Order: sequence, then C-alpha cells, then structure tokens
Amino acid sequence: MTNENPSLARAIARRAARVVSAATLAAAALATATGARAQAAAQPAHVHALPTGPISDRNEIMEGIGRDAKAIGAAMKAGKPADAAKPASDIAAKIDPFLKLFPEGSSGQGSRAKAAVWSDRGKFDQVGADLKDKATAVAAAANSGGDVKAASTAMFQDCKSCHDQFREPDQGE
Amino acid sequence: MLRAAAGLDAARRASALAFALVLALGAQACATAPRDAALAPGDPVRGAAVFAIAGGCGCHTPGDGPVGAGGAEIPTPFGTFYSTNLTSDREHGLGAWSDAEIERAIRRGERRDGSVESPVMPYYRYAGMADRDVRDLVAYLRGLPASPSANRPSEGELPLPRLAYRGWRLLFAGHASPPAEAPAAGVERGAYLARHVAICGDCHTPRNRFGASIGDQELAGVSGGGPLPYAPNVTPDRAAGIGDWDVADIENLLATGFTPEYDNVQGEMARVIDGLAGGPGYGSAPAADRAAIAAWMKTLPPMSRAVTKDGSGPAGATAPAVTEEKPA
Repeated sequence: MTNENPSLARAIARRAARVVSAATLAAAALATATGARAQAAAQPAHVHALPTGPISDRNEIMEGIGRDAKAIGAAMKAGKPADAAKPASDIAAKIDPFLKLFPEGSSGQGSRAKAAVWSDRGKFDQVGADLKDKATAVAAAANSGGDVKAASTAMFQDCKSCHDQFREPDQGE
Repeated sequence: MLRAAAGLDAARRASALAFALVLALGAQACATAPRDAALAPGDPVRGAAVFAIAGGCGCHTPGDGPVGAGGAEIPTPFGTFYSTNLTSDREHGLGAWSDAEIERAIRRGERRDGSVESPVMPYYRYAGMADRDVRDLVAYLRGLPASPSANRPSEGELPLPRLAYRGWRLLFAGHASPPAEAPAAGVERGAYLARHVAICGDCHTPRNRFGASIGDQELAGVSGGGPLPYAPNVTPDRAAGIGDWDVADIENLLATGFTPEYDNVQGEMARVIDGLAGGPGYGSAPAADRAAIAAWMKTLPPMSRAVTKDGSGPAGATAPAVTEEKPA
C-alpha cells in the first residue's frame, strides 16, 4: 500500500470499472434486445391481459369513470364548473352496473380487487352507494351554480377511501 | 424469469469483480477525504419541512410505526436490507450520535466507525443537500420520540461488503459540493429538492447493473417484474411519460395522491405523500416546494422509454426504449 498518488489510483479504478461496466452493459443490451423482439411477436406491450367477463367489464367501467373524473377536474380548472354536470351524472349512472360485476370468485387473474370485496360485501356496496350520492351531488351543484369544488372533493375522497379499502396497490406501486 | 435470474447472477459476478479491482485503491483514496468542521445547531421547525419533502425519510418508518424506528425490509439484487433506527434512542437510534456524525451518515454514507454504508441508503443523492437543510433535518430527527427497536443486520450481501461499499462510493457516488443554502425558489429549487431531498430518482430513475442511476435517463422509469419495483416514467414524454399532465396536475398528485383521472396512487408513492405512521410526507410539505418540483419536472427532457408493470415489452434495465420499428 502506498499513499503517494491517490488521484492516479482513482483514475485507474475508474478506468477498470468503465471496462467492466461496458462489457456488462453490452451483454445486458443484447439480452434485452433479443427479449424485446420475442415479446413484440407475442403481443403489444401495453395491452392489459384481463380475461373477458366481469373482470374486464368492470375494469372498462372504471376506466370510463376515470375519464369522467378527469373531465370534472378539467371543468374546474377551466373555470367552467357547470361543465362538471354531465360527467358527474355519468359517474352516478355507472355505479350500479359496476357493483353488479363482482360475482363470487371473480378475483385474481390480473384483478386488483381485494378479498374484502366479498368478505365485507355490505360495506363495499355501501361505499358504492355513497359514491353515487356524492356524484349526484356534484351534478346538482354544477347545475345550480353551487360549490362544485367542495362537492367534487368530497366525491374524490370516496374514490380514494374505496380504493384503499378494496383495491390492491398496482403491481410494484 | 430464467433470463432475469441469469442476468442477476452475471450482474453479481461482474459487480464483485469490479469491486475487487478497486478495493485497495478505494480504501486508500477515501482515507484522504476531508472532514467538515462541526455543524452549527439547526432549527427543528424548518427541519420538519425538510423531513416532509424528503417523503418522511419513508424507508426508515415501519408500516405500523413509530416514525423513524427502522426495520422496514428493503429487498435489492444485492441483498436484503433493513432500514435503521433514526429516533433519539441512545442505544439503537441516533441519540448518542453527534450532529456531525449524523450529517456524515446522510451526505457521505459514513457510519460512526468511519466505514461506508451500503448504497441502499441513497447518501449519494443527499450529498447535494444544503448545509442548512441537513443541519435542520438533524435537529428535527433529534426530536423523534425514542424507539427501542434494534437494528437488524442485512442478509445475502455481496462478499466483503465493507470494502465493496467503499469501492462503490468511490466509483459511483460522485463528488458533490453541497451549497450552504438551498436555492430559494423556482425551477432551480425544484431541481435541488427533487434530486437531493425528495430524491424522486431513487425509484423513478433506471439503474445500471451496479445499482447506480443512469444519469441521462432521469425519471425515465423502471419496469416491474425484475429486481427493482415498478416506477412509472414521469418525464414529459406524451406517450411514455406524463407529458399530458400540466404543472397543476403534478402538484396535485404530490399533494393528494390523485392523478388527473382522480385515481389515487397506492403503495410506496402513497406512503411518501401521506407520510408514514402519522408523520409528514410530500402532502404536508410546503406547497411552494411541491410547486417547484412540479415546475422542474416539466423542464426535463422527455424520455420515450416505455416501462411496464410486469417487465414485459421493450424496456430493459439499461437499453433506451425503441418506440417504433420500421420494417426492413
């Protein structure tokens, strides 16, 4: 061990590491490229492979609710709270069909529904009914010049509360 | 799965080799690093805001609390680690540490005995934290109620971990010269907070085979299904990232956990927003700090890297995404 030239030591160490990492990176890139090609042949990367039936159907409804919720946010952002009326009543109309799409056994297979949906079904249906009321209240506020922001904040809290109780975190979240 | 496992194996072997190459050199070079003079005492009230925008130092709080008690499991390709006790407990926490010792642990990855921490503790990100902020953060940590939770040793580490971590710091930690004071406002403050306090990149920036962030892919996301948890691409790319979010959308997510579709994030992101075990998080940090981070994020170069939740698709750990392939 000598202490004479730490900067030279550092330079050598960096060079050595660069060579090693370049080699591994190259190998990794190759492996990735090969894998990507095989994958591309199988199916597009972004398609959510949910089985057809209730899981896929309820997922579709929920995505529609997401679009409605986004429209409510956009209406408020644009300073046009009255525009929140239609998406809010659309959400209210989607709740009953949504709640009917959780038959016993429709868990797993890519679904994020927690077991509590079935073990605590009464509560699940109750928060669904609450959300429907809150969405109806948003539409009412929007149609009557009321406080859309307060009404929608209350509604979004219901969304979150239900997700936290009855939906698993997204994979890796 | 098999390919991932083989890749991991190769990565471990290559890492061990790289470390072996630099062990002696690293030990020697780091022995010459300068030491700071003692820190002036910090302000715990300001420190609470730093702690909040640091996501409540979330790794250090176990799911059922108390805040800062440590013991949360952190699985990595380089072993399973358990976060350490940051509370004021004198035996298991930081109660007996000096301010300067805590500062060195946060910004330089040094333990009390002078050995180097595993890079699982992102000291190399906190290395750029302003003197005043780290001082105030230390003052805040001093006030965390003592928890007698004992630190748990890591499992399945690389061989010769102490030398390996010293070598890693030498190779990958860079040489930060933190400012005395953080930038006060604007995009500069956002960049500072995101990189050195909130450390967004710790989850959202892809890493190379050695676990070091890939510098030119900041916040470009990490695919799931591999050794690291899924974290979305949050650069302003319209297809692969969050280019269609405006600054207010990002601010709102950091404050409430709601996406523009009013879906709420769950899991790790929710924990650092809400804070853990009743402690503060991004959501209770100063609104101006969230706004600064959001404004900075919109200035990032858009990255077309497509990340997927299960690791399928084109996003490897290191290769830039190929968004379109023309037929030959």
